[in-house]
Amino acid sequence: MSSASSSTAFGPPVIRLAGDMGILVEFGDRYHPSINAAVLAFDAAFEGRRPAAVIETVPTFRSFLIRFDPLALPFDTLHQLLSEMLESRNWYESGPPTRRRKWVIPAVYGGMRGPDLAEVADLMDQREDQVIDSHAATLFTVAMLGFSPGLAYLGQLSEIWDFPRRTTLNPEVPAGAVLVAVRQTVLPSTPIPTGWRQIARTPFRSFNPRSDTPFLLQPGDQLRFEPVDEAAYAAYSAYDMDALLHEEGA
Amino acid sequence: MSARGSGAETGLEILSIAPTATIQDRGRIGWLRYGVTSSGAMDDHALAEGQALLGNGCDDAALEFAGTGGRFRAHGTLWLACSGAEMALRVNGAPRPWRQSFRLDGGDIVEIGAVHEGVYGYLHVKGGFQTEMVLGSRSTHQRAGLGHRPAAGQLLPVLPQPADMTALSLPRPDHFDRRELRLLWGPQSDVFPRAERARLLAAEITVSPRRDRMGMRIELDSGPIRATEGLTIASDAINPGDIQVAGDGTPTVLLADRGSSGGYARIATLASADMAALAQIPAGGVFRFRLVSRDQAVEALARHRRALDSLASKAVPVTRDPRDIPDLLSYNLVSGATNGDDLDLD
Repeated sequence: MSSASSSTAFGPPVIRLAGDMGILVEFGDRYHPSINAAVLAFDAAFEGRRPAAVIETVPTFRSFLIRFDPLALPFDTLHQLLSEMLESRNWYESGPPTRRRKWVIPAVYGGMRGPDLAEVADLMDQREDQVIDSHAATLFTVAMLGFSPGLAYLGQLSEIWDFPRRTTLNPEVPAGAVLVAVRQTVLPSTPIPTGWRQIARTPFRSFNPRSDTPFLLQPGDQLRFEPVDEAAYAAYSAYDMDALLHEEGA
Repeated sequence: MSARGSGAETGLEILSIAPTATIQDRGRIGWLRYGVTSSGAMDDHALAEGQALLGNGCDDAALEFAGTGGRFRAHGTLWLACSGAEMALRVNGAPRPWRQSFRLDGGDIVEIGAVHEGVYGYLHVKGGFQTEMVLGSRSTHQRAGLGHRPAAGQLLPVLPQPADMTALSLPRPDHFDRRELRLLWGPQSDVFPRAERARLLAAEITVSPRRDRMGMRIELDSGPIRATEGLTIASDAINPGDIQVAGDGTPTVLLADRGSSGGYARIATLASADMAALAQIPAGGVFRFRLVSRDQAVEALARHRRALDSLASKAVPVTRDPRDIPDLLSYNLVSGATNGDDLDLD
């Protein structure tokens, strides 16, 4: 039997106390597809064994947070369960989730829909059309949701996209802004303040609080952007997004 | 919607209200993995006080005020109660004690003015305010745009009210006096030099005016937290009570309306039992941290829960204090009329 954690460049995962109602399982200290896949696989496996006193769980780029009631579920009991699960296999070899979906998301690049496109082209030393082509050619994976409701962090752009966030904050970008920095794309579903640069905007909203399925994008889903013009943008209804679902399953 | 003038439209009309007022219940739980933080009452003890005073369920929603309140008119008979930070309370112009349940009749005016002590005060109604439920909670999350946003001109809907019930009173809780708050080290504490962590524990700490439902900036008497390495980490989930240190070294305790994840390292986490006590410390208020073990924090949480559970048994019927009677007489003389409900209390 091979060791669960010795044959990889990643890990081993570490279990940490996160406040008196939280346990954090850290799979790594950065974004990497293998670390992220380990998190998502662990999330799916934990769901099947989830004790009743677990309040909620949060998969991120690199870790898995469990919030629980320590008066109903002793820390040591939960720690034991997590240790057993971590020992049971090499989570870094999990591969992508089996039930992920693929999305094609229309977006208008540049102009008033992407006011920072020219600045990004300068940072990348590319023409604007090259920036658009590179972005639209990328197949993204939803690495995590967070910060604001339904906001998706998408990985991962090529190395020419490795420029930092702004040091100053734009007080508000609109819902559907397509934001870029540090080889990632961020897709907010509500207006947010941000230091990321906006190169496009989509009518797609992952979050609709009044829907039976309030959150459309799930971690692990795949996504690419389809450049469209203003007429096509206007034709999409922001809350009828099922047409954008390209293909069920991986 | 019932027809106006039929008398069937019961509720609390907002005549004026502070922009920082929100609707809060126990919060929106279970959506953190989608980026939705819980919101919920900043002082969970105060929320439970109101439920105890009115015989409400633990998930009923109240109005939460941060420092200043508003002016309201009853439509139909309402049973109300105030809790949390004590604020200036008047009914039809006459002062009323805080932390009691009381009856309003249609047309009565209730005014909630400036806070006397603490930060967050609450106005509860029997059965809770029936504002929109979003993702299982009525809590206002202003930043995320979820839940009802109270504003002048609205009629906050309520459930049918009892004609009579016993008015109850609760004693002032002691968490307004707490100036030592329990702390645990967290997953990123190691990012900070040992000496800086020691300084956090030794410091006298002042609450900055830059505080809201998202977070409270705090200032150490010995100056900002320094770290030799960068303080940014790969974005990770944030717990309520996490103490984040931004680039300028100012710590911020992250609260109910925080972002769900962030990339600044967090030096420590406040014990869950002490979240309400922290929230009630006003700007300029001073406190200290005390490092505790996980077991000690969990034991404190157990005591905190027991205190909440015992509130219903601590609520006692309101008895008329003889000192109140001259005030009642003068009020009746000044107004020239009484609708009689003061007499019902005898």
